Amino acid sequence: MSVVEIEGLKKSYRVYQKNEGLLASVKGLFHRTYKEVEAVKGIDLKVEQGEFVAFLGPNGAGKTTTLKLLSGVIHPSGGTARVMGYVPWKREHAYRRRFALVMGQKNQLWWDLPAQESFRLHQQIYRIDAKDFDRTRDELTELLQVRALLGRPVRELSLGERMKMELIAALLHSPEVLFLDEPTIGLDVVAQHNIQQFLRHYQEVRQITILLTSHYMKDVAALCRRAVIIAQGQIMYDGSLAGIVDRFSGHKVVTLAFADDEAPDLSHFGTVVESHTPKIKLRVDRPKVAEMLATVLRDHVVSDVSVEDPPLEEVIADMFQSAEASLATNKS
Amino acid sequence: MTAVVADLASRCAVWWTILRICIEERLVYRGDFALGTLMRFLPIITQTFLWTAVFVGAGGPSTIGGYSRDEFIAYYLLTYVARAFSSMPGLASSIAAQVRSGEIKKYLVQPIDLLTFLFLSRMAHKLVYYAVATAPFALVFYLCRGYFEGWPDAPTLAAFVLSLLMSFLLGFFLEATLGMIGFWFLEVSSLLFVYMLFNFFFSGHMFPLTILSEPWRTIVLYQPLQYLAYFPAAVFLGKVQGPALVEGLIGQAAWTLAFVIAARTAMYYGVRRYSAFGG
Amino acid sequence: MHPNYFAVFREFARNSLVREMTFRGNFLLDCVSSLSWVFMQLGLYLVIFEHTDQLGSGTGWGRWPFFVFLATTLFVNSLVQFFFMTNMEELSDLIRTGNLDFALLKPIDTQFLLSLRKFEWSSLANVVFAAILLAVSLGHLEFRPTPLQGVLYVVFILCGVALLYSLMIALGSVSVWLGRNESLYDFWFYITNFSRYPMEIYEGPFGTPLRLAFTFAVPILLVANVPARLLAWPFESQDWRLAGYAFVASLVALVASRKLFYKALAAYRSASS
Repeated sequence: MSVVEIEGLKKSYRVYQKNEGLLASVKGLFHRTYKEVEAVKGIDLKVEQGEFVAFLGPNGAGKTTTLKLLSGVIHPSGGTARVMGYVPWKREHAYRRRFALVMGQKNQLWWDLPAQESFRLHQQIYRIDAKDFDRTRDELTELLQVRALLGRPVRELSLGERMKMELIAALLHSPEVLFLDEPTIGLDVVAQHNIQQFLRHYQEVRQITILLTSHYMKDVAALCRRAVIIAQGQIMYDGSLAGIVDRFSGHKVVTLAFADDEAPDLSHFGTVVESHTPKIKLRVDRPKVAEMLATVLRDHVVSDVSVEDPPLEEVIADMFQSAEASLATNKS
Repeated sequence: MTAVVADLASRCAVWWTILRICIEERLVYRGDFALGTLMRFLPIITQTFLWTAVFVGAGGPSTIGGYSRDEFIAYYLLTYVARAFSSMPGLASSIAAQVRSGEIKKYLVQPIDLLTFLFLSRMAHKLVYYAVATAPFALVFYLCRGYFEGWPDAPTLAAFVLSLLMSFLLGFFLEATLGMIGFWFLEVSSLLFVYMLFNFFFSGHMFPLTILSEPWRTIVLYQPLQYLAYFPAAVFLGKVQGPALVEGLIGQAAWTLAFVIAARTAMYYGVRRYSAFGG
Repeated sequence: MHPNYFAVFREFARNSLVREMTFRGNFLLDCVSSLSWVFMQLGLYLVIFEHTDQLGSGTGWGRWPFFVFLATTLFVNSLVQFFFMTNMEELSDLIRTGNLDFALLKPIDTQFLLSLRKFEWSSLANVVFAAILLAVSLGHLEFRPTPLQGVLYVVFILCGVALLYSLMIALGSVSVWLGRNESLYDFWFYITNFSRYPMEIYEGPFGTPLRLAFTFAVPILLVANVPARLLAWPFESQDWRLAGYAFVASLVALVASRKLFYKALAAYRSASS
């Protein structure tokens, strides 16, 4: 049985539409217009025990809404979901004791108190055995290197340190399923890296199931083998990260350096992206790559060659744009 | 001459824009508005019952502190009108908060005077309030018309309106002055709290000030807070007449002027201090 | 396995105390300011009792019995303030910022968690003052209350707290529905305002229906009136039906408001940002 099973999951909101201008504001006093917004439009998904899955998608795609549905914070407007066999929005204690949600933009620690006080509160709320609690806390603080900060009020911690504390708070009860919503948002590169390392290590050792949303492709590339792309409330892709490029990008990036300061015109092979003699970078349709290389190597003296996939960010950004465009045309 | 007119016209255009934006902002919170306005009248009900019980308990005297039972209720209703003009919720604290957060820089950079801006936004606040509140006020006064002995004569009514308008100005400049203290002390909330307490008691919001025994009675009738609630209400009910009325209005005007000057002075030195020490 | 509610409760109390003590100046200021409001109220009634010996005719609310009443109101309100007020004020923040999500994730009763997270220790100053006022006023009464009266007084103070708390939870539910609650807080203040006076003052063609409404529909008149009557007057003159009703009403209110709150939580949609 899969750990997470989602079928036809839907969520729509009613949103008040505010109109511009004085007259409209006055009208708003008496009569309001609402709009139905479909945040999640029927998602099917299965996640197995021990998987580390990334949810990718532009802002407002429905990633966070999906995580919230799976945490039982909100009720769906349709469809079913089971996590470890529980229906999340029933909010059973037994379920809530076995998973955790971390949101990078929110904090649940007491702002004015040292993090260890919040941890103790969690110990009581989750009824963690004193010995287990001490062991887990020490292990986590050791791994994240925040032992010295335990006694400092949370408001005095840096964003990265605070995020580490949030993670510890979420992991104290050793959840079997972990939902991470933008855990590295706003962090500097070093802090991002630390948190990635920690998550990878923790997941490998514990073999827990993790669902992650992030805007940083680095997070995703470092952590997840499987990626689920959501746009406009629907799943566009579900598979390996590498597969995204294969499937959605029809071209490769070829960089050539010529000996003898030569700069031949190669524009008939593809789009030139950069040209600094003797170096040329160009985008070439996949089927044409072999032919092009053969021709160039035959006709010119080449000192260096590289053939790369386009950066993941670019592929995904292109994909979102085309998805949005196609949906927009469908609507009109 | 045309330059002056053009200048004035452009100023008015700016003022109108600010006023309009502020009104729009206020109207967004329509739910709060309607509920808030209605609820504001709830205490009147309990006060009516309380003072009725006091008069009954005292064996039905004709007046207490110069007010009959009906006049007590009328007095309370009128203090609501007066406070609708004079109360400035959150004015001082928002000035102090803006000084503390550095947001005040906005006014030092933009070509608009801080006091003018606050005054206009407060006026917008009040205008919207009156627009929403007039109907409930009228309803309540209509229901309670039995407590009034009819309309006062025209001069009294004129004096009442005058004192209401001045109470708006006095309330605004008094609170603004208090807010300016934020330039010197970061923590003004305790001070504002003390002010609020004094205001509550000595503006006559809780009872007509004349029911106090001497020497309190004489003392409280010398301080400016009385003009925020007690004085306009007493004028309407004809409790202050003839020379005393003129004296009272002059007193109110003098206090108002004093606080206009105080607010301007405080802002002048405050801003100088702020630019000198940075924020 | 249920969480150890008592241990969590203790942890809440401890954390709030630690927090208040880190801002000691603020704490003292809060104590002083809440006491000042009480002094203002007291001042008003001192002025009133300069002009009359009792409220209404033949009601029994003379100066000292009335001060017993005032102390009772103060007890109930400051206890509500101590345990629940901060939490209910923060509820709107939690909703607005979406941090209510966290509360919903915890394997613990959500109402418990949201109602008792933070204690407002400074309101204990009012409790102390209420105790002093009560002691002084009782000393001036013409009779001595029996120990049984004392015990029942405590029981009905707790009923009063339960009634006010239920009203608060009901208002909290509405704010979960609406997604905001600034004016609900005002509403709370104005509606409880009715509970701060002896019920006898609500008389006449308008007063009687009002008294009945606030006794039976929204029973906030029972909050201070029932315990205060128990203590301020000799035992024989009690209206036991009213006390019994108050007891039942507070239980019903607790259950009903809880049902409502959970309905609201089910409808909760978290802020998306």
